[in-house]
Amino acid sequence: MNQKDGYWHPLVSGVILGIVLFISFMVAGQGMGASGAFARVTAQLAYLYDSTFAQNSYAAKYLFNGNALSNWTVVETFGIFSGGYLSAMFAGRIKQSIDKGDDYPSYKRLIWAFLGGFIMAGATRLARGCTSGQALDGAATFSAGTWIFMLAAFGAGFVFAPLFKKQWKNIG
Amino acid sequence: MYPLFTTGTIDFNSNLLYALVIGALFGIVLERTGFGSSKHIAPIFYFRNLKVSQTIVSAIITCSTLIVISSYNGWVDYNQIFIPDTYVWPYLVGGVLFGAAMVMSGWCPGTAIVGFASGKIDAFVFMTGLLCGMYFYFDIYDQISDFANSGYLGRYTIDKLVGGDIYTSSYLITILLGAFLAIFMNVMKSIRDKKEKL
Repeated sequence: MNQKDGYWHPLVSGVILGIVLFISFMVAGQGMGASGAFARVTAQLAYLYDSTFAQNSYAAKYLFNGNALSNWTVVETFGIFSGGYLSAMFAGRIKQSIDKGDDYPSYKRLIWAFLGGFIMAGATRLARGCTSGQALDGAATFSAGTWIFMLAAFGAGFVFAPLFKKQWKNIG
Repeated sequence: MYPLFTTGTIDFNSNLLYALVIGALFGIVLERTGFGSSKHIAPIFYFRNLKVSQTIVSAIITCSTLIVISSYNGWVDYNQIFIPDTYVWPYLVGGVLFGAAMVMSGWCPGTAIVGFASGKIDAFVFMTGLLCGMYFYFDIYDQISDFANSGYLGRYTIDKLVGGDIYTSSYLITILLGAFLAIFMNVMKSIRDKKEKL
């Protein structure tokens, strides 16, 4: 099943991922997500720090629904971490490092990583999900709206790619 | 009858326990495909590898086909499957910001968790950015909420857009995704051939 580089063939992974996603729909009635967990945890942390945050017009609906630890996506995200960790451990792939192209300064790479995360957070709130919770789940369940998100995201990736060419030099 | 949780076959706590297992399987697949490293994600935008597009396309086709088969046989109630409501304008703007942020950071929320689990410092920094960005969004939500809820279409599925039923939708996305992958592979090959000639 492994290719030369030690990874599964993406088409094989895709079929397995599709089956896992199907199981998720059959069991929970919803597909896997990730961005929702970050939103939910942020709301919880802000609330723990300052309880008046419960009045925030966006986060209120989260906090009204009980603790973050009883949220499906948050629990599932702990699963993603555990599964990823075990898989990387058994494959001998756990290593403290920074992914970047040749000769690119680490500090610049980390600045882009932070900014990208910051921008992506709002993007997932506007789009009601990310690559998993919106693109993958929505496409697999025949949502039409998902394709607006997917085409826009994919297109923007290609449009903005030249700006970040140096960061990804000679990789992949 | 499926889904187990929404039809009341399993309770809230069992559903959470399954969430942990489903998440773990998801994490394993992501790691084994190479998505624990942004080196395997960012190159898609330079036509340098096929991992992301092949994985997403085959996952969508596999899952949607299984859903159609289950629905045909009456095993699952398609209407009980959660589909996020469509908001046209926020989806468009959110998509553009998302794509830009993806090539900027090399991560998306799901893959970053696996990257973090594999020891990637940039994944950790990205996740910190995500948390801060979420707080920022909550903070400015009152100012942008009109836009964030514009173009509302509800549970808007492909059959509502083009007619037909979920079988039509299934044929359509399978053919379109197959065509997309074939075109993408050809573009990638022609770029590679050009480079080899130089």
